[in-house]
Amino acid sequence: MEKFNAIASKAFNIELEKVRDTLTPKDIPEWDSMNYLLFISELEKQFNVSFSMDEVLNAKSLGDVKKALQTKK
Amino acid sequence: MKAKDLKFEDIKKGDTAFFTVTVTENDLKKFAELSGDYNPLHTDEEYAKKTEFNGRVIHGMFLGALVSRFVGMELPGKKALLLKETLEFKKPTRVGDILTVQGTVIHKSESLSLLELSMEIRNQKELLAIGSAFVRVLP
Repeated sequence: MEKFNAIASKAFNIELEKVRDTLTPKDIPEWDSMNYLLFISELEKQFNVSFSMDEVLNAKSLGDVKKALQTKK
Repeated sequence: MKAKDLKFEDIKKGDTAFFTVTVTENDLKKFAELSGDYNPLHTDEEYAKKTEFNGRVIHGMFLGALVSRFVGMELPGKKALLLKETLEFKKPTRVGDILTVQGTVIHKSESLSLLELSMEIRNQKELLAIGSAFVRVLP
C-alpha cells in the first residue's frame, strides 16, 4: 500500500516515513474535515473505487480507511 | 446575473462548461483596490514596460477569482462550496484579453458530494493558466 501512504503523506502534509495505520486526526494537525474529504476523493480517483458515506464517517484512523479500501480490491 | 443551479446527481464525469469575459482597465483597478496589491508590475505601465513582461500584467489571483465565479455561477453554480483551488500561470494576462474560463469534471465522489474540476483559462491566442478546483455540492 505504498500508493495509499503516498497519498496520505501528500494530503496531510506528513513525511512519508511517518505514515502509520494508527495515525488519527489527533496525531495529524492537518487532518481537518476539508483535508479528509480531499484525501478520500484522491483515493477514489487513484484506486478507481467509491467509498460509502458510512465508511467515510466511521473511519477513525488511517488504518480504518485502508481497511475500507482493501475490501474493494 | 443568476447562478446556475445544478444538482449533484445531474452532474457527470466529463461534463464541461465555460464562460468568456473581457478584462478591462477597471477590472485591474478594482482588483488592486480590493486586494491591496498595487505592485507596479500590475499598476505602473512605465515600470512594467522595463521588465521582461514589457507592460502591465493582470494579477494572477484575478484569474483565481474567475475560477471562483466559474464554480459559483456555472458548474455546479448555486450549491457550490469551493474547498480547494490550484492555478499555474503559463503566460501573462493583459488588459483587453478576452478570456475563456473552462472547467471539466474529472472526478465525482458520490459519498462526499464532491467534484474535482480541471480548469483552463485561455485568451484569444493561447493558454494562460491551468489548475483544478475541488467543490462540494451542497444539498
